[in-house]
Parts: sequence; structure tokens; C-alpha cells
Amino acid sequence: MSKVIAARTERTASKAPASGVALKWKRWRFYLSALVLIAPLAYLPEYFEDLALSRGDAGLGQREVGEFAVGPWSVRLAEWQIAPPEREGLAGYVKLFTLAQCQECIGHIKAIYLRVGEPRSLRTAGSLFSGSPYRQMAEVLIPERTGPDDEMWLTLEGWDGAVHQARVPLSEASPSTVQWLQQRKGRP
Amino acid sequence: MVQTKLFALGRLAAGAGLCLASAAAWAHFPIGHCKALDETTVQCKGGFSDGSNAPGLTLDVISYDEKILLSNKLDKNSTVTFKRPPGQFYILFDAGAGHVVEIDHTEIDS
Repeated sequence: MSKVIAARTERTASKAPASGVALKWKRWRFYLSALVLIAPLAYLPEYFEDLALSRGDAGLGQREVGEFAVGPWSVRLAEWQIAPPEREGLAGYVKLFTLAQCQECIGHIKAIYLRVGEPRSLRTAGSLFSGSPYRQMAEVLIPERTGPDDEMWLTLEGWDGAVHQARVPLSEASPSTVQWLQQRKGRP
Repeated sequence: MVQTKLFALGRLAAGAGLCLASAAAWAHFPIGHCKALDETTVQCKGGFSDGSNAPGLTLDVISYDEKILLSNKLDKNSTVTFKRPPGQFYILFDAGAGHVVEIDHTEIDS
């Protein structure tokens, strides 16, 4: 037993005293660890906002545009985020919209499309909304030639083959997109 | 011990890579571009916004009164060449409902 104690004492004594730099580093390593644990707390409000948005607790999107009558049906349209369009690779810029069908419409609408400008036909009606009738999403391409005074066209196709359309001014559908268009005026 | 740490790091890197890959695969849009090879011939190239090609994709040439003048499929190089029809028309790359690209005859590069 005494041999073991002696050996331990010897090992402890043989350790070189820690230098000033090493001591400082140890202390700051502790502070750094605390900072790493605390820093994410700053992002908690944003995290909970995102969570509420994706769960639907914050509504259809960050900004609800309104309810629009389209033929015999009506839909509620919203901007998913109050933000300018995002670059989608070689395709250009896209903007995410969400939509909810009226309670009575559910089961009668086959497809809902949205685009900038008047479509030539049903094939060119724009981006197709996908998801449940209570919250559908579509990423809409914002073409290079889009102007702040342009309109968005909603096209609803029923299971009976009927097609109904409604127009929404871009300035009403997404003021953030109009602001972005005005800022990038003249830029490719 | 070192091997275990390396393995854990490898798994972390693979996880991050998969997350990034899934973000990239989140959405891709059809794209198309057409140019006039000469006065009578037009060549169009299609694909997706992530840079991938789209062989077999339908390309229709449609008149302003909605008559299909020509219907083609993109070849293995994701291109198609056709005779320019007379009058006003537009070219439609069709990758399915809601996934189309329109190019007006006035937008064909010369």
C-alpha cells in the first residue's frame, strides 16, 4: 500500500508545472465551451417562429394575401415568407406561395396553378400546387421580364373539367417581390 | 480510439453530405434555350435547373391559336433540331403538369 502511495506521489511530483499560456488556455477553453452552449439560445425565437410556420400554427404563411373567388370556388393565398424570390439554379428566381381551398371546394378541385402573366393554355398555367387542400404549396417562377405592374394568374381545374381563373396584382400578392424587382431594375 | 474518432467524424461528414444533397434535390425546374442555326432551322436544348439533362422530354412547337405544329422528344444530348414553322408560335418544354418552359418565337436567339 505504501509503495503505491509512494509511486503516485513520485508521478505527481514528476509532472512539470503548467505554463502561464496553458493555464490561460484552460480557463478560456472553459469560457469558450460555455459560449458554445449559450450562443444557440440567440436563435431560439427564430427557431420557434419557423417551427410554428411549418406546423401551421402561424397560419398559411408569413403574410396572408387574402381570399379570392375563382369561379364557384374560393381559395386563401399567402406568401410563405416575406422575402424576395430565391435563386433556383439555372431556372432563375422563384417565390414560394401557399394556398388553402375553401371547405366546400375540397374534393371538387383537381389542380391549382399559379404563374406570373396570363397563361396561353392549361398546359402553361404555371406552377402546380401540391399538398393537402388545407395547405398547398407552389414555387412560382418570376421570369426575367416581370414588371412591378404585372399580375399573377390563378387557374383552378375541377374534376368535372371546368377551368376557372382569377387575377391577383403582383403588388398585392407579394410586395417584397415588387420591391426586389424595383431594386434590381436593369440588372440581368 | 483514434479509429473510433475517425469513424465518428466520417459518419458526421457523411450525414452532412446527405443533408446537403437532399437540399440540392429539394426542387429542380425545367429549363430550355433555343437558338436559330440558320434562317430555317432551330435547335433547342432542355434540362433541369440543377444542370442535369432531360433526354426524352417532350418539346412541342405550338401556334398562337394552340395548334401543335411539331411534337418532338429531346435526344440523348438533350437537344432537338427542327425546321422553323412559318408564322407566330411558341416552344413548350413539357416535363409534366406544372413543370413547363415556354419560349416565344421572338425569344429564339439568332
